Amino acid sequence: MNAIIAIGVIAVVLAATLGLGIFGVRRIKMDAEQYIVGGRSFGALFLWLLLAGEIYTSFTFLGAAGWAYGRGAPAFYILCYGTLAYILSYFMLPPIWRLSQRHNFLTGPDFFVHQYDSPRLGALVALVGFIFLIPYATLQLTGVQVLLTIAGYGAINSLAAVAIAFTLIAVFVFGTGLRGAAWASTVKDAMVLIGVVFAGIVLPVRFFGSPAGAIDHVLAAKPHWMTLTGDASANGVVWFVSTVALTALGFYMWPQSLAAVYSAKNEDTLRRNAIALPVYQLMLLLVYFAGFTALLVLPGLKGPAADQSFMLVVKQYYSPWILGFIAAAGCLAGLVPASVQILAAASIVSKNVLSDTFGIAKTSAERTRATRILVLVVAVLAFAFWALARTTLVGLLLIAYNGITQLFPGVALSFAPRRPSAAGVAAGILCGIAALAAFAMTGTSVVGGVNVGVVALAFNAAVAIVTGYAIPALKPRVPTADSSTR
Amino acid sequence: MREFDPVKRRTRLSVALALVPVLALTLGIPLANRVEPRIAGLPFLLAYIVCWIILTPAFLLAVYRNDNRA
Repeated sequence: MNAIIAIGVIAVVLAATLGLGIFGVRRIKMDAEQYIVGGRSFGALFLWLLLAGEIYTSFTFLGAAGWAYGRGAPAFYILCYGTLAYILSYFMLPPIWRLSQRHNFLTGPDFFVHQYDSPRLGALVALVGFIFLIPYATLQLTGVQVLLTIAGYGAINSLAAVAIAFTLIAVFVFGTGLRGAAWASTVKDAMVLIGVVFAGIVLPVRFFGSPAGAIDHVLAAKPHWMTLTGDASANGVVWFVSTVALTALGFYMWPQSLAAVYSAKNEDTLRRNAIALPVYQLMLLLVYFAGFTALLVLPGLKGPAADQSFMLVVKQYYSPWILGFIAAAGCLAGLVPASVQILAAASIVSKNVLSDTFGIAKTSAERTRATRILVLVVAVLAFAFWALARTTLVGLLLIAYNGITQLFPGVALSFAPRRPSAAGVAAGILCGIAALAAFAMTGTSVVGGVNVGVVALAFNAAVAIVTGYAIPALKPRVPTADSSTR
Repeated sequence: MREFDPVKRRTRLSVALALVPVLALTLGIPLANRVEPRIAGLPFLLAYIVCWIILTPAFLLAVYRNDNRA
């Protein structure tokens, strides 16, 4: 009976949100541009919703609480990196947006194609985006699976839950484009806010009188939980600062984030968003309180199980109606971003690799079909990754960020007075990713306390600069006298 | 007379303003890595981070004003 109520609540909420997503796009004729960049007419509020919709995901809802539960202070990095990314975005996004309008960029990699005059570099960037969106999609899939398993009160095992999650993601991707996702985001954000207030305020008040009371109890039991270790170990203070820097640089490298930037109405919209978005980060504070409360009420969850932390508390102490509502909010936090991410992964490969580089799927209809097939490919790969790599949600996000941040040197160097060659930038990206692969195979996560992603990024930038300026572009290039007008 | 180029000076001020929260939330972290004093019940490290997140929009607004100055 409990399972029927909780799952029933989830089903009603998801159906209603999907309906709203479809209704939001119905009256607009959908061509590729509408589908991917929403017709380039998003004002400040709508864009804010879309950007927030992609940022506040299963990771925020479950992953941040899971790390607060499992590791303590290292989880605070999540508060810092978003804030730094918005500061960077204030300066970086307006010039990217101006280029996108002048040259009709459709996908994230189109930026590289134009800046380096190289469709092949665009194809490489698209493949990097595709590969590292898979762990990100896996994160969302895992989040939905965890919630369905809990809401099933034992009636749904994890494999059945992941199969349902997989189906739901496919329904969301095919049901809504970018504009639909922005509408669905409004429902999602309202519900997640209610869920987070419940988990971050109502739970600690019930058990410890106040959120500060929960912190008192954690400090009494674990005096070092709220500070970082000062040494060079994994998750120490050096790791913290390097991870904040790495993930802040990678934040807007995601193809779906760049596509969202292109969809802005004007550059002032982007600046005002950058000013307002840091405030949204504060919701994470409540998520930490939820994780700390769960640590005291239900101790002993190990590894990826920590991601279930506060949901298990809700399940044990509250009615299935409340569990169903919060799980529904969490499912939306997974499904809406997953649909945007999977759509982005599929569309960059169909446009920048198949169409622009190999000349397959040239017409709009063919490209739409290729995108649909690729959506299923991404979803299957995300499913495979779920089956193979059982790690925490934060662990999945860090894998994704280590990879995507390797695109940052190419973006930054493209604004230099003299640009390096496309071959140099490509060599940098490949070396950075090879370094990441070597670290992954040896199980290294920090070098002298520094996140290996930063080491790979430094290697990448060094290779890009040395080979990029030493090896000239293969085609003769127009000198960049016109760089300010391009 | 590059020093007195008003556009450049304005850009430099904008970047300097934006760098304050950036440095606070990176290089400042090791200095704030303490439990005491607790602020509004939060351990000092968390309170420090939250303070800078609240201050960041103020700094960015100052940058915005500076950029749009007639």
